[in-house]
Amino acid sequence: MNILLYPIILPFIIGIFCLLTPKKVRETLVIIGSLLTFGLTVWFFFGKIAPDRLPTTGYFRFDSLSSFVLLAIGLFGFLITLYSLKYMAGKNRLREYYTYLLWTIGASSGVVLANNLILLLVFWGFLGLTLYLLIGIGGQRALPAAKKAFIIVGGSDALMLLGIILIWLKAGPETSIFSLPMDGISIPLVGGVAIAAYLCLAIASFAKAGAMPFHTWIPDMAETAPLSVTAFLPASLDKLLGIYLLARISLNLFVMNQAMGLVLLIVGAVTIIAAVMMALVQHDLKRLLGYHAVSQVGYMVLGIGTGNPIGIAGGLFHMLNNVIYKQGLFLAGGAVEKRVGTSDLDKLGGLARVMPITFVTFLIAALSISGIPPFNGFVSKWMIYQGVIEVGAGQGLGARLWIIWLIAAMFGSALTLASFMKLIYAIFLGQRAKELARKRVKEVSWTMWLPMGILAGLCVIFGVFAYRTALKIFILPVVPGVSFLGVWSPGLATLLIIIGLAIGAIIYWLGNLRKSLREDASYVGGEVLPAEVRVTGVDFYNTIKDFALFKVIYKKAEEKLFDIYDLGRNFVFIFTKGLQRIHTGVLTTYFSWILIGLVVLLFLLMR
Amino acid sequence: MNLIPLFIALPLGAAFLLPILRYRNFDKQKTGQANPAVILGKWSKRTPDIVANLINLTLLVLSLMVINRGMLVYKMGGWEPFKGIPIGIYLVLDGLSVLMLLIINSIGFLAALYSVNYMEKYTDKTRYYTLFLLLIAGMNGVVLSGDMFNLFVFLEVAAIASYALVAFGTEAEELEAAFKYQVMGTVASGFILLGIALLYSFSGTLNMADIARIINQQGIQGTVLFVGALFIMGFGLKAAIMPFHAWLPDAHPSAPAPVSAMLSGVLIKAIGVYALVRILFNVLGLGETKSILYILMVLGIISMVAGALLALGQRDFKRLLAYSSISQIGYIVFAFGLGTPLGFLGGLFHLLNHATFKSLLFLNSGAIVYATENRDLEKMGGLLERMPVTGTTATIASMSIAGVPPLSGFWSKLIIIMAAIQAEQFIFALIAVLISIITLAYYLKVQRLAFFGKLGQAWKKTKEVPGLMCASMIILSLLCLGLGILLLPGIKSMILDPAVEVLKNGAQYANLILGE
Repeated sequence: MNILLYPIILPFIIGIFCLLTPKKVRETLVIIGSLLTFGLTVWFFFGKIAPDRLPTTGYFRFDSLSSFVLLAIGLFGFLITLYSLKYMAGKNRLREYYTYLLWTIGASSGVVLANNLILLLVFWGFLGLTLYLLIGIGGQRALPAAKKAFIIVGGSDALMLLGIILIWLKAGPETSIFSLPMDGISIPLVGGVAIAAYLCLAIASFAKAGAMPFHTWIPDMAETAPLSVTAFLPASLDKLLGIYLLARISLNLFVMNQAMGLVLLIVGAVTIIAAVMMALVQHDLKRLLGYHAVSQVGYMVLGIGTGNPIGIAGGLFHMLNNVIYKQGLFLAGGAVEKRVGTSDLDKLGGLARVMPITFVTFLIAALSISGIPPFNGFVSKWMIYQGVIEVGAGQGLGARLWIIWLIAAMFGSALTLASFMKLIYAIFLGQRAKELARKRVKEVSWTMWLPMGILAGLCVIFGVFAYRTALKIFILPVVPGVSFLGVWSPGLATLLIIIGLAIGAIIYWLGNLRKSLREDASYVGGEVLPAEVRVTGVDFYNTIKDFALFKVIYKKAEEKLFDIYDLGRNFVFIFTKGLQRIHTGVLTTYFSWILIGLVVLLFLLMR
Repeated sequence: MNLIPLFIALPLGAAFLLPILRYRNFDKQKTGQANPAVILGKWSKRTPDIVANLINLTLLVLSLMVINRGMLVYKMGGWEPFKGIPIGIYLVLDGLSVLMLLIINSIGFLAALYSVNYMEKYTDKTRYYTLFLLLIAGMNGVVLSGDMFNLFVFLEVAAIASYALVAFGTEAEELEAAFKYQVMGTVASGFILLGIALLYSFSGTLNMADIARIINQQGIQGTVLFVGALFIMGFGLKAAIMPFHAWLPDAHPSAPAPVSAMLSGVLIKAIGVYALVRILFNVLGLGETKSILYILMVLGIISMVAGALLALGQRDFKRLLAYSSISQIGYIVFAFGLGTPLGFLGGLFHLLNHATFKSLLFLNSGAIVYATENRDLEKMGGLLERMPVTGTTATIASMSIAGVPPLSGFWSKLIIIMAAIQAEQFIFALIAVLISIITLAYYLKVQRLAFFGKLGQAWKKTKEVPGLMCASMIILSLLCLGLGILLLPGIKSMILDPAVEVLKNGAQYANLILGE
């Protein structure tokens, strides 16, 4: 059998077994299953499979892009499974949960290995179904979000179907669509059919990855679905796959031109800024992270939209980095929720002491997402900035507006940092909330912190040793011809940062600083702040909401005026209501329809 | 031995046999004596179940046996053509009829199996099965008939059986629905009969092949187009194409669930879509006429859009399914209207798939009614917990009809949209795609309200339905999962390709049958 089928079939089969086995066996089975899949992907990536074992049929393929995404799928699938053992313990419908989890891993592997558009669509669409079922496990409250997610994602799948058929029309309608290999397609973006096909596929990838305006399902589901599901799908796999597809169509299937690049730049820039503005004012940890999951997609789309090697490489590297730190953030957030029982920022605070590992991993991931050197987020953002600057050297509207894209990207980073300051303060620093003060909170068990630790470690390694590890192994083979504009030597910078920190510590320990430092209660106007009016970290950001212009926009956003799902639903229901009104149930009315219909038919045919 | 007449003779004979057995049963109840047929008497409560299911099973086996046999013509009574002019009644079995027979008899068998438990709550199973078998006999007759008038007679047999079955519960709502259905159905039948009469006066024959030959010779004239319009209206009403659909949302939900499954899953296709395309393309030879094809496409699109929009606004589970049928029939008619081989393939494949998932959904709704006595979606909730088989099979059927890969509905929708793009109908293709999103939306609504979520207080003691009902739902859900394999080259050339071939040949139909 074709060895590329193993990472697809293995999780599927083990998933079916999970449905049938009792609890103890099941958990072992799930861990073994995801570990085996991870092992397979590692072997595929580093093992350098002999060419004669690679498939000769046109249905699957294995190149540097798919092997790298496959490896990421294997890793994150395994980490989430490990984390779920404790996180999901005691919840309902675990049998289904693990099965769907494994099926998701299998189908995702299928997406990246497929070399036929229909095959890709089958796996892709199946992922929509597992996403829906996984969100549904969150219970009653998650149901509307599950439905919304599946309508947006499944709806974009339908458009993808249209796009694929348009590609078939363009690339060779004389061959069967089932035997049209993807690696033989290269369509210039000229003419309506090609552009429509590209847009349909781009919409599918936007909906999956969560770029605006198809992002609205992510914050909704983040709030209600089991957190491991959010960390797994929208924060990890859906990003990988969405950007994978965008890269595939932009780099391989189509020959990009400037106009389409401009569309991507606009989508990217708007996504970065709008989502991060929404994130700033959120009250719920999970929903806030959900908006960041949207905002970061903007960078990747922007990177690919630049169309130059450094930008694309930056976009792909950012995809990988984003999955690492975003999953880390979600998992750390989940750890907090597991121990405290709420994700409402107003009810958290002061957890750094009791959950040190969670705090440190969260801090690293937060600094990373905000693009602080020397962590990995900085490196990929730095590459994207370079890509944008290089766009400015070109021609066309996209080039003339290059400064706008650059500002959006940089300002987005600053706002991200701002919202994470709020988050870190509200969860880990400051005073504990009143409800929390009496509760004994302790660190989570190793199966939960180990995945978080691994992710935080990756954040550091991919940042400090970016050139020697991630970029060299994963990214540069995919995008040839990357040349760096500026000089950024992460090793040296790290060294300087560490030296700076060390000097600071020495001053702190040796000098008088320590003695003169005192800890005290919080004061306002000379009065000790009572627990009821404690500063939560959320309130401070409410001022943003009160700016005149923002106030209106936020209000409209809360009324879901910008939500494509609600807009679509309201639009459709206008027609539904109209049609319902004319269906009166009166026989004579129906008769008149029949007769009018017949008369029209006769007129059309006999004239 | 020639199997063709058995498809009609068996169910028709059994339909008349059942009431005779029933009278024997009455005797025993009245007199209380052990009458001579004591063993039969002991069985008699189950007799209708057993007879009807055995007949349906036989029919299913028979229809599996005729796969890939090529074209068979049976001349009733052995009356050979006289000087090349056919005089007897012909029964014709070609690729298209085989496909339809498979659909009718497999769904018929599963619906009958389901009825064994489900119909317990109605009083009179004998009458029920009599009507049910008449329905099957009528539909088998329609798809086999090679003669216009016989087609009409069988169509009426099926239609009248269905009027009675819709009214079977004899509640006010059911009677009203049946009344409306009957009145409108009769109007349609009247126009169909008028069309047949005009054709007869035009060609001087009722044999379908002969008519096709004569029209071939004389060219398409005004009369043929006029008759075409009458048939589009008449069969269009039987198929519930907008704007001739108004009876369906009342009639289909009112019938008992297995009958709804037959009506929505099979009847509108056998006496509606099948008869329409067979006559338009094969007999009248209008397969190349642009105006007819365009009308079919536009009617298909209208049904597709309006049916889906109306389904979205429904709270009643069975009415939602009924509107969804209108929408899906729209897809099928649209695909036929494209007039290309790929369009025929998509239309026929979707017809087959729709038969499975829509019947399954109606059976699911019946299971819910059986267990909870409730059809209002807003009052359900969490039933997956109490009714795992019903819930899971309904999920599979919903996902299939919404076109989620790799379930069967995805493949037929793929081919329909491919055909539309190939024919360069880009706007229509886009509409078909957008409507599939709406389809997904209203089936997710069903899922959310009925099966997921919090278990309502009232349904805490709800139990899963009995075994035979479950069995029939499980078989159908397996079909929904696996029918995609019909597109594999080897299997496609056995079932779908011959059917497509028939429509592609168009007016060549005459030559194939008359052997010229």
